[in-house]
Amino acid sequence: MVRLSGPEALRIGETISATELQTRHLTRATFEDSNGEAIDEGLAVAFRGPASYTGEDVVELHAHGSPVLLAMLLERSLALGARMAKPGEFSERAFLSGKLDLVQAEAVADLIASGSIGMARAAVRSLKGEFSRRVTALDDAIKAIRVEIEASIDFADEAESFVEMREIETRLAALATQVDAVLGEAARGAALSKGLTLVLTGAPNVGKSSLMNRLAGHERAIVSAEPGTTRDVLHQQIELAGQQLEVVDTAGLRSASSEVEAEGVKRAQAAIEEADVRLDLWDASRPETRGAWPAPSTGQVVIEVMNKQDLVATRETDCLAISAKDGTGCAELVKEVERQVLSARGEPTFLARARHVEALQRCQEALKSARHEHITAKAPELVAESLREAHTALGEIVGLTTTEDLLGEIFRNFCLGK
Amino acid sequence: MVGLAAEVIVIGAGHAGVEAACAAARMGADTLLITQSIETIGQMSCNPAIGGIGKSHLVREVDALGGVMASAADAAGIQFRVLNASKGAAVRATRAQADRGLYRTAVRQAVERQANLRLVQQDVANLVFEDGRVVAVETALGITYAALAVVLTTGTFLGGVIHVGRASHAGGRAGERPSTQLAARLRELGFQVGRLKTGTPPRIDGRTMDLARMTEQRSDEPLPVMSFLGSIDEHPTQKPCHITATNERTHEIIRAALSHSPLYGGRIEGVGPRYCPSIEDKIVRFAARTSHQIFMEPEGLETHEYYPNGISTSLPFDAQLALVRSIKGCEAAHITRPGYAIEYDFLDPRGLWPWLETRRIKGLFLAGQINGTTGYEEAAAQGLLAGINAAGHVAAREPWVPSRREAYLGVLVDDLVTQGVAEPYRMFTSRAEYRVLLREDNADARLTPKGRDLGLVDDHRWHVHQTRMARVSKLAGALRTTRVAPSSAQAKQISAISGSKIATDVSAFDLLRRPEVGASALRTSLQTSLHINETCETLPQDWEQVKIEASYAGYIPRMEREIEQLKACEAMPIPASFSYHTISGLSAELAEKLSARAPANLAEAARIDGMTPAALSILLVHLKRDVSA
Repeated sequence: MVRLSGPEALRIGETISATELQTRHLTRATFEDSNGEAIDEGLAVAFRGPASYTGEDVVELHAHGSPVLLAMLLERSLALGARMAKPGEFSERAFLSGKLDLVQAEAVADLIASGSIGMARAAVRSLKGEFSRRVTALDDAIKAIRVEIEASIDFADEAESFVEMREIETRLAALATQVDAVLGEAARGAALSKGLTLVLTGAPNVGKSSLMNRLAGHERAIVSAEPGTTRDVLHQQIELAGQQLEVVDTAGLRSASSEVEAEGVKRAQAAIEEADVRLDLWDASRPETRGAWPAPSTGQVVIEVMNKQDLVATRETDCLAISAKDGTGCAELVKEVERQVLSARGEPTFLARARHVEALQRCQEALKSARHEHITAKAPELVAESLREAHTALGEIVGLTTTEDLLGEIFRNFCLGK
Repeated sequence: MVGLAAEVIVIGAGHAGVEAACAAARMGADTLLITQSIETIGQMSCNPAIGGIGKSHLVREVDALGGVMASAADAAGIQFRVLNASKGAAVRATRAQADRGLYRTAVRQAVERQANLRLVQQDVANLVFEDGRVVAVETALGITYAALAVVLTTGTFLGGVIHVGRASHAGGRAGERPSTQLAARLRELGFQVGRLKTGTPPRIDGRTMDLARMTEQRSDEPLPVMSFLGSIDEHPTQKPCHITATNERTHEIIRAALSHSPLYGGRIEGVGPRYCPSIEDKIVRFAARTSHQIFMEPEGLETHEYYPNGISTSLPFDAQLALVRSIKGCEAAHITRPGYAIEYDFLDPRGLWPWLETRRIKGLFLAGQINGTTGYEEAAAQGLLAGINAAGHVAAREPWVPSRREAYLGVLVDDLVTQGVAEPYRMFTSRAEYRVLLREDNADARLTPKGRDLGLVDDHRWHVHQTRMARVSKLAGALRTTRVAPSSAQAKQISAISGSKIATDVSAFDLLRRPEVGASALRTSLQTSLHINETCETLPQDWEQVKIEASYAGYIPRMEREIEQLKACEAMPIPASFSYHTISGLSAELAEKLSARAPANLAEAARIDGMTPAALSILLVHLKRDVSA
């Protein structure tokens, strides 16, 4: 469900639903994108402030819940002038407009706190790898230009020669191209990493691939009784509790007997370290395989699973017992994973992505105006103003640069002061 | 001794002390200004200049509130320039080279002419407290002066130690005693005391320099003016500065002498400013440089002394002499006074309320270098604010604190009390988020009405201000309603002068927003032919003013959105007793920081490092609950 709150909620909701919405009355609607093409069929309902949860006009768009469709609805809402709510913001607004009891203040505050932790986790996940590197590079490039411009403004009477405005213009143009490229990729989602990852670990032949196939619902990995069959990391997307979960199967961890296998082991180790959720498997018929797992990394959720329970008469009771082969206990396992994933309270990745795209777009706009103003007005203080805005927008992704940081950089780069 | 009393006592008569004393007295408080030496009131201890980028903005604000500094600079300035003249009005800054003697005289006159203000020459040794409030000051001679509020402006005198080479001695300025007893007393009282450092270059006898071999730098034409009430007629004879530079040989001399430097020999523990480094620092930190610029600044009209700005040093005297003589035009230079470094005490400004009263002791206000700042202008601005609030304290009025959106003065105190200082704090325009709104040209519009309310602005200044405001607003109004048709003679003339194309019917105000359309071009074209002259008499500078406002008009809505958010946060006070540790959503680290800094409102809390939007929302929710409960 996408919830909109504020004075523009009704306008945006009705535009997307392509129909007039009635107060407190579910309306069947086809949600449309900017070309008038259907995104999804669903239900929409409007609440007029102050008789709404937040005390403002509220519209709820109930779609079918697939993250992809939700992401499209969200994108459309943002394009129509909405902005992403902060964690717990609806409750905060409800509280601030007197809709919630004072006693509930604590709960609202907790919601904001846990929401922001979830957001931070999601952002970290989404920032892994290439995307993070490129956004950081953008941030550095903007900072470098700001250092030049701010220094040329504040130290105009110094002997230092600062970069020429023509040069700044060239750099701004290059920067704009870079932002466009990153934005293009981010919008397609290509550069962003996936959602939560779940990794299967355990000694060779404890049934990791079988469980993976069971979870995924079809045969992906090659299953054989011979140890070392799985030579590489295999990936599988599944959806749990509305979250995209990437299941990663790893080569059995043991000293490699061939070069190909050594590479597989290396990759497996990295996958295990980075995983959000880990299923530690052991073979019920071989008790010595229990405990053959690496130490968990920080914040990792670890669930111990005894596989092949169909091969033994007695059930271990202190951990989940399953049989990947016949499916016994697998439903319980999925529930446990869901519970753990929910308790991790990570914001869905597509929300984190929407935030990033929104921030990049603001950065792009600000850069555009920096170039425009620079060219027409020849006013470096206005270029500086727009660059500050662009930098602040990126700061929402990679962390804010303070004036002190900027001054520090200026004094490192230039010999200033009499 | 009995019977010696005042409502406000200001200790120290430098740039902070003078503004504090005059402001308190202007507001009607019976004020006493105590200084070690009446002769050195308004002394410029460092370089003889007022203003510069960011600093002149402060000077204009002090002036808009009826302060002394700008007028004194107008009366003493022997070289005036506008920095950033080619950039936008927001970052243009006036700088005046001052005759030290004339400046002192102007300040002394302002002090002596001020009603409700008396002078005392004494060395203050002790502050007397009762029930957590200041009640009196005691001098080294044992004289006690009772007071309801005390403003302490000790400059570099608090625990001052002067270093030249390996020699060091206690001193407040060259040839003056430090305030050692007072420094010890403040440490005893439990204030967080730190050490900072600054320095000066050796002074040179101009008759022993060959100025002709340096580059001359004259005043700008037309001569700039510092005060809103000032005029070019007040300026004394102008005298140029000269520019020369260090060279490889200078750097060799310095490198060879580094082991004798108190800075590099480890005898100075205080932190010096990064933007005002000694020549030793420059050579070490920027080793690849083969030359550093030096401004030879005349000390005055009646003296031959020059201040070589750019070679502040604490090297031994022989090294100072050698390095000076290695510089082009200085081969035969005679040093009149050696350069030195000075270390002094400052009190952590996070121990202050934003109105500059100490949190520890009621009625005690601090201003200037004691708060970790550097610069005459920064000192004057704080002095003014401390004086205003000391007088307000006496009259049991609410404190006044300008916000970051109103004034550089607001940026200054907010930075100090929320961030503290890691090095001497200097104003830069980049510190102001609302830079395009906080300009030299509108300091009066921003602050003079407030100054009038506070009792700081006299009838003359008020009249001048109101007249100017009325003229500018009438002109702006007329320009908004005046349309220029593409086919009109005016349009053709404007296009001819500015090169700007007028394709559609446009208001004169919107034309002014175009960068290429200058105020004078528009004035030439519209002044005679349109109705503006009949509705109001305007001056060329009024057109310039409207032009400035028109060019930034596009930014105002954007900034106002930010300002609205800031205002909302400022309007949410945080009670001093607020307990951060009981709030579950805040990290222990952040709760610790908030408790230590005790922000006065949500806006201040927002600027504490490590603060996140989520933490701010959590605070807001809890504050709201406490207010409603």
